[in-house]
Amino acid sequence: MTSPYAAAVAQGIWASGAELVGYVPSVGVAPVITALGRPDLVFPLSREEEAMGVIGALPLTGRFGAVVMQDNGFGNALTALTTFNVSYHLPLLIVANIRGGLGEYNSMIHSFSQHVPALLDRLGVRVFDLDRRSGPADWEDVVAEAGAHARMTFRPVVVLAQFWATDGKTA
Amino acid sequence: MRRIDALQVLVEGTADLPVVVTCAATSRELAAIADRPNHLYLLDSMGLAGSVATGVALGLAGSAIPRVVAIEGDGSLFMNPNVLATGGYLRPDKLLLVLLDNAVYGSTGDLPTYSARIDLGALAAAAGWSVRQAADPRTLRAEFAKALEPGGPAFLHVRIEPGNASGVPKLLEDPVVIGRRFRDWLASR
Repeated sequence: MTSPYAAAVAQGIWASGAELVGYVPSVGVAPVITALGRPDLVFPLSREEEAMGVIGALPLTGRFGAVVMQDNGFGNALTALTTFNVSYHLPLLIVANIRGGLGEYNSMIHSFSQHVPALLDRLGVRVFDLDRRSGPADWEDVVAEAGAHARMTFRPVVVLAQFWATDGKTA
Repeated sequence: MRRIDALQVLVEGTADLPVVVTCAATSRELAAIADRPNHLYLLDSMGLAGSVATGVALGLAGSAIPRVVAIEGDGSLFMNPNVLATGGYLRPDKLLLVLLDNAVYGSTGDLPTYSARIDLGALAAAAGWSVRQAADPRTLRAEFAKALEPGGPAFLHVRIEPGNASGVPKLLEDPVVIGRRFRDWLASR
């Protein structure tokens, strides 16, 4: 059964106006990908930097897309994100599940992931946070509005989703 | 054939096609030959031309534009060879990647790439791209014309000599202007 939070993220992505969704696999991302459905519009990409290029290019054609990934992937994505999406003012919705926080079992992933919010802020990339303190309906609304915010500001926007303790487990 | 000679041939064949071009010397030389609104110069995104062109090709699926042309270098493609696997997997019908392969990092002191030992055309073929080759202007002109025929992804492997054209100015335009100009050109098609 799909987590209501994962389903909410998926519904929010479609409600954001995303026409194509690229994802970089993660155990946290998998329930969201399942909930998204539409394999004709949702596809894997090899690395996060490639996702910035492929999905990030859609606004050049008048379209809009979303990337689903995990937060430690920003280490791979930063140069592409800054030199392409940010520098060319291309709106993009990025939804990343948080690994660098409560509930994470992998000790070394914190070394990068705990710094992701500060890194993105330092780069001027707008971040919206989600965690167990709000319900699935709020998650859906925030993800959807983050897509509108990306288009309104002509910039990539990141939603960092902390699945820990939603439904009593890490997503 | 030097890079600028190959670019001259490509300029002749791409007046009505979107062109995504890799950074540094390749973008500068292309702009020096013809600075057109259908050119998307990637000013500093090494390795990303193929990915961006893949996204543009996906975005233009169903449009009247027949081809999206990426102009990439071997050093840049070796930085992101995932472009080949992703293109082979997603199979964007309009994507044509032209690889200008001089076996060196031409914008960074002509240090050697892997190209002397690894055939990027063979890698593309293994990933499912249809591959053509050229090493002189006449063959490039003919093979480029064939590569414009429907069906993708297509890969044109062009062997060129090392060496940058002299006297070519830096490309100092604001990327926002470059991107908007490219988008407006696409929207007008």
